[in-house]
Amino acid sequence: MNNPKAAGRLRKGGRSREAKGGRSAEARPARMQMTDMDLPFFVLVMLLVSMGLVMVYSASYANAFYRFGDSYYFIRSQLMWAALGTLVMLLTARFLTDRLLRMAVLPTFVFSIATLVLVLFIGTVKYGAKRWLFGFQPSEVAKFAVILAMSWLICRQQKKMNTLREGILPCGALLVLFCGLIALERHVSATVLVFAIGAVMMFVGGAHLGWMLGFGVTGVLGVAGIILVSPHAMERMKIWLDPFLDPLDAGFQTIQSLYAIGSGGLFGLGIGKSRQKYLYIPEPQNDFIFSIACEELGFVGALLIILLFVLLIWRGFTIAFKAPDRFSALVSVGIMSQVAIQTILNIGVVTNLVPNTGISLPFFSAGGTSLIMLMFEMGILLNISRRTRR
Amino acid sequence: MSEQGRKNTALAGTMQRRMMFLLALLVGVCFLAILARLFQVQILQHDYYQAKAIDQQVRDTTVAPRRGTIYDRNNIVLAMSASTETVYIAPKSIRNQEEAALIARELSRILGVSEETILKKTAANNYYEIVKRQVTKELADEVRLLKKEHNLAALALAEDSKRYYPYGSFASHIIGFTNIDGKGIEGIESYYDDVLVGMPGRIISAKNAKGTDMPFRYEQMISAQHGYNLVLTLDEAVQHFIEKHLENAVTEYNVQNRATAIVMDVNTGAILAMATKPDFDLNDPRVIKDEALLAELAQLEGEEYDKRQMEIWQSMWRNKPIVDTYEPGSVFKIVTTSIALEQGVVNPHETFYCPGYKIVAGRRISCWKAGGHGSQDLLKGLQNSCNPVFMELGARIGGAAFYQYAEALGLRHKTGIDLYGEAAGIFHRQDVISKGQVEVAVTAFGQTFKVTPIQMITAISACVNGGKLMQPYLVSKIVDDEGNVIKDFEPVVKRQVISEETSNKVASMLEAVVANGTGRNAYIKGYRIGGKTGTSEKIDEKNEQGVADKRISSFCGFAPADNPQIAILMILDEPQVGQVTGGLIAAPVVRKMFEDILPYLGLMPQYTEEELASLEKSVPDVTALPVEKARATLREAGFTPQVVGQGTEVLEQVPRAALKLAKGGKVLLYTELEETSYSAEVPDVRGLSAEAAGEKLSRAGFNLRATGKDITEQNVTAGMQFPAAGDMAVVGSVVEVEFIHEAESEWVAVSGVENAG
Repeated sequence: MNNPKAAGRLRKGGRSREAKGGRSAEARPARMQMTDMDLPFFVLVMLLVSMGLVMVYSASYANAFYRFGDSYYFIRSQLMWAALGTLVMLLTARFLTDRLLRMAVLPTFVFSIATLVLVLFIGTVKYGAKRWLFGFQPSEVAKFAVILAMSWLICRQQKKMNTLREGILPCGALLVLFCGLIALERHVSATVLVFAIGAVMMFVGGAHLGWMLGFGVTGVLGVAGIILVSPHAMERMKIWLDPFLDPLDAGFQTIQSLYAIGSGGLFGLGIGKSRQKYLYIPEPQNDFIFSIACEELGFVGALLIILLFVLLIWRGFTIAFKAPDRFSALVSVGIMSQVAIQTILNIGVVTNLVPNTGISLPFFSAGGTSLIMLMFEMGILLNISRRTRR
Repeated sequence: MSEQGRKNTALAGTMQRRMMFLLALLVGVCFLAILARLFQVQILQHDYYQAKAIDQQVRDTTVAPRRGTIYDRNNIVLAMSASTETVYIAPKSIRNQEEAALIARELSRILGVSEETILKKTAANNYYEIVKRQVTKELADEVRLLKKEHNLAALALAEDSKRYYPYGSFASHIIGFTNIDGKGIEGIESYYDDVLVGMPGRIISAKNAKGTDMPFRYEQMISAQHGYNLVLTLDEAVQHFIEKHLENAVTEYNVQNRATAIVMDVNTGAILAMATKPDFDLNDPRVIKDEALLAELAQLEGEEYDKRQMEIWQSMWRNKPIVDTYEPGSVFKIVTTSIALEQGVVNPHETFYCPGYKIVAGRRISCWKAGGHGSQDLLKGLQNSCNPVFMELGARIGGAAFYQYAEALGLRHKTGIDLYGEAAGIFHRQDVISKGQVEVAVTAFGQTFKVTPIQMITAISACVNGGKLMQPYLVSKIVDDEGNVIKDFEPVVKRQVISEETSNKVASMLEAVVANGTGRNAYIKGYRIGGKTGTSEKIDEKNEQGVADKRISSFCGFAPADNPQIAILMILDEPQVGQVTGGLIAAPVVRKMFEDILPYLGLMPQYTEEELASLEKSVPDVTALPVEKARATLREAGFTPQVVGQGTEVLEQVPRAALKLAKGGKVLLYTELEETSYSAEVPDVRGLSAEAAGEKLSRAGFNLRATGKDITEQNVTAGMQFPAAGDMAVVGSVVEVEFIHEAESEWVAVSGVENAG
């Protein structure tokens, strides 16, 4: 797909968008005001970011105090990242153009693949996975790169998407390239996530359902086979089915998470009053932040957070519906699917609905790269919302 | 353009349908599933997870209450708890192997627990492993220092307490002891455990996963309520007196099956002292002192060892005076006399004749004196402890009445003393004694039934205190730390059993027994003592030849006879010396006890003129005086001075000043440094008359100090002496010789029952 023909298509598409945009701006100059963006979406994002900050502070201060002697250790940087993220989001919403986004496809793709390869050689190991490169996670960028590349590819192949040769295979190849590289990092959650995003986009992009199903079933069987022959994976499965098999080691996080969620009850212990954050849940400000939220805010609070996510996703899909073109629609769907799948997987993990794998909760989990990337993506959606068909 | 637009729209149609489907899938299925799961965990399983979470988040520390103190009746501490500490480790908080090794090594050094044991504990997978309990404050501080020095988070201390018994083996069977958890398991400690123990307090605090308290903590404290203190009726001094004499008696008479004594306030039932010898150390109740038993144990291994050890402990801890029963023998004649007088079946002036036996229902039952006592009245019969007289009384009282009185005097039931394990005794069944003439006859002189010593002394107290059967008790008050009385135990009169008049008669008759009967070895100059001897056969324990050869020698005395205050019952179970009658060996021991106890209780001797004349005097201090002056002082005081050396000044005197010495006793005065005191072997004077003993000692250079019976009386010979014959002692010092009445003493005649049959 990296052939000159493809590049030409990209350039051509870009030109046509530019022309179209120029015409529209001429016809309706008022459309390029910032107020044109989807306000409910913006409000929802800001609400989630704010709640996320509150929860990061609440969940992290004990851990921060014990580890660094400074209760503000995590919230300080998270606040900074959130501020920066908001700026990035607004700048993106304001200044991004369809052309810029299309122009970014190739560099993003190259950059992502390069970092994914590089991290295998000079990455930093953390939690048994080699996923850090100079303080950021290439897999975070990869999610976005997949979305862009897949959108571009689907647009390019649009007429032949329902065929095997021209639809499933090129898209599949793209996905396998990314997933393979991420899998080499032993970053299971990101592999699953990227694969799911890609699959969803192929589905939306009009891939042949029969073939997709066929590959899907084959893939699931393959994964099941790997699990069955790999003692490590099998062990994980057993722990998933009964975390109390190894309550002090492999099942520890899950059990502690369930204790937190379970003790929350209907209304929770009150904001800031979690007990499980006192070193019971390791890194409570990261992947298990939702457990602390459940413990402090109860079922009602958890319901509210999920409702905010659902509203955001619904609003995001609405933007995709009304997207001015196919590419924007696919990018929007990709981004919103990423948010949705990541949220579902994260809550699934903390409630032990799915096997334990490190996956962060969008807007909530502390971490610079992921928040900046996420806010940037939200900026793209806001930007697209400004150019919606009315 | 339009074509492309149309295509776009067509494809967008598919895309929009698929997007709708995707949205529905994400929201309708995935998010709903998540919500359902959250509902399950947070609402349905809330209680389960909450309990589990709280269980791990909360540290519920029990604050041990301080166990109450046990005082004697003069508030002398007999048992107290000192606060100590438990040293424990949290193995999960140990950071690495080096730290574990350091902890094991250092704790082993400080606490004396083996390094290996501690190392094993450091490997445990929890937060609480006790290394040592009841660690003193000093050692605990050392542990604290260690913790601070090496920043050992895994090392911790908690309050606990240790029971201390300041007097060790003193009153061990009565006070009892506690186990390592502070629960009373013997004696008063056990009976009043719920009073002494108090209410534990709790500290509920939050802890983090490392087991340390959180800086942001929620804490709730329920303070411990200390246990109440007990004030016993026991008198520390009285207890010491009887223990001293009882212990001597056990050694002297080679008592095989332990000896016991009870001192009771006859008017209230309060126990002033109660002792069993040999005993054990309350601070180390599991240490076996008996070397024979230790040797036996050393032969055993494993289960057998444990079993035998437990048996030995049980018998060592057995509180003989209330748990063991015995045949009271002639001491019981006090009861028979009381019943006979109360029933009016005997006239004090009527004459009985003892031919040395009595035929009861065709059986010949012997008197202890083979030739018989001849004619005698009731008083003489009691003084002689003549069995035929009492068989006659028994027959006159009759089995039915005897049974009723035994019941009324509490011989058929537990006394209800505040100790666990009391036995009820074994008295004849009503139907048996009502018909059986032989049973009544033998019962009348105290054989064929068993009572506990506490039952016996309680019944005898009733016979001499004016007829009231008292409830014996050991605790007089329960008080709190501020001294407020929580509960006051008043004496309890169970019932009036005999009239005051009868009781007075019995008391004065018993005084005559001591003054001039089988109990005369219990006589003390200046005091009016009443009492009765007893020598019983253990008829249920026969030797290989089928002869019941084991004896129990006992004596029960009370004083003052005209106004009884205290009674002492002492029992020597299986003494092994030549003569084992109560009159010969038990009465002198009780006399010694009275000699110490009565003045202590403020009952001063009232001497007759005759008694005054023979009293000993204290040797005056003549050291540092010129020889002539010293000689004069001693002569004036009634002693015989003997100067050793050529000096002009007395450098040393033997016996030293303040020692009691009989009139005319020899006092050596040393006047030269070279001529200091020298030692000589003490001669054996046992069996000699007072005169002969004095002469023999004097020849060897010693002074005689006569104790026991009045040496002016007939048939008095030397018994025990101290220092013992053959020992080396400083010439001029006092040799204490106890004189006893070598006269006839009663002997039990139960064997005669069998012979007659």
